[in-house]
Amino acid sequence: MKSANRELVDRLAAEYVLGTLRHRARRRFERWLLSPQVGALVKAWEERLAGLEPQLLPVFPPATVWRGIENKLELRKLQRRPVMRWVAIAASLVFFAVVGVFVTRGPEQPQLASTQQSFLEADPQTIYWRVEVLGDNQEISLHVQNVHDLPPGKAHELWALPEGGGAPVSLGLMPHTGDHHRVLNAAQRAALANSKQIAVSLEPEGGSPTGAPTGPVLLVAPLKAV
Amino acid sequence: MNRIDTLPPEIELAQLLQKCAAQDTAAFRTLYDKTSPIVFARLLRMLRRRSVAEEVLQDVYVRIWQRASQFEAHRGRALAWMVTIARYCAIDLMRRERMTLVSDDSLGEIADDSATEDGGLEKPNNFDYCIEQLNDNTRKCLTLAFVEGRSHDEIARLTTNPLGSVKSWIRRGLLALKECLSTERQAT
Repeated sequence: MKSANRELVDRLAAEYVLGTLRHRARRRFERWLLSPQVGALVKAWEERLAGLEPQLLPVFPPATVWRGIENKLELRKLQRRPVMRWVAIAASLVFFAVVGVFVTRGPEQPQLASTQQSFLEADPQTIYWRVEVLGDNQEISLHVQNVHDLPPGKAHELWALPEGGGAPVSLGLMPHTGDHHRVLNAAQRAALANSKQIAVSLEPEGGSPTGAPTGPVLLVAPLKAV
Repeated sequence: MNRIDTLPPEIELAQLLQKCAAQDTAAFRTLYDKTSPIVFARLLRMLRRRSVAEEVLQDVYVRIWQRASQFEAHRGRALAWMVTIARYCAIDLMRRERMTLVSDDSLGEIADDSATEDGGLEKPNNFDYCIEQLNDNTRKCLTLAFVEGRSHDEIARLTTNPLGSVKSWIRRGLLALKECLSTERQAT
């Protein structure tokens, strides 16, 4: 990051943490949080401004709040059979890690159901790509709706954004015409299972050389259950 | 549980978060019992309306559960990490709803949220010294923004100062605070 840029980003990071960065500016800045450098600036400000935290008398929330959390996270299901759940997760991971590598989809294979979808758009009238997640994050379908500008020597790359600011995981390059289908590997599936958003960044031709987004993040969109 | 005498030890909260990351629902319940009164008090301070704060509190703990594996015990303090999630959730709600923080009937119940004698979140070294170096206007603006979640416009209105001055005090105050904390850190 150039020093002038760094100063500007640091100022924005400060106001992001303070809470005075609002509305569109806040949303735009949140896209930059994908960058480890920006993330580090934000963390530093969080540590600095923690000194402003007031010491408050505890206030007990009503029991309805916990019940709401339980329902949203379906915690009771997890409580019921925790061991079986881990066995199921481990078994499915092993299965996909071993088998997924050798699978090539042919026409005879049953089509997986679409489970999630996402619209990568500038606004609701300008959708560039529709992304479908098929099955249990096993495959994705990419549908070009409008062609996004692409400078020469560049590529658009798709990323899964794990919840909580974990490192983005590449889901491959984006097509610019037609419909495309892609089988994901184990790492991509694991990342997607933990993501509620995907993003497209501008990268050098052939994709990011580092495995992390290196160019600007152009579009971010939520994954929604179908 | 009816009262919290002291804040739970950080190490215990960090361990509970680790268990949450492994999908331990009992640990999550314990974490909630130990911390939700503090987090709820913090949300009430920003959102003012009890019903709104209760809804946001749910979102906060949903995020804490989902992000427990992201907590870096070696870097951060567990309670500060959770309170930060709460602050961002509250700001997100205000952003979405374009919510104006006006007082309402429930203000009375939180008006006496005076500081406790001990406890509270740990401050950076020399924070008290550095914040004292700022002028009164700047300190007040930073506090209204951070503690109460007030926007530039609201701060200008509340303090009856021009918006431009408020923005400028905040910008300069943040820079001065950073510089002072970094200098003091090097000196210690």
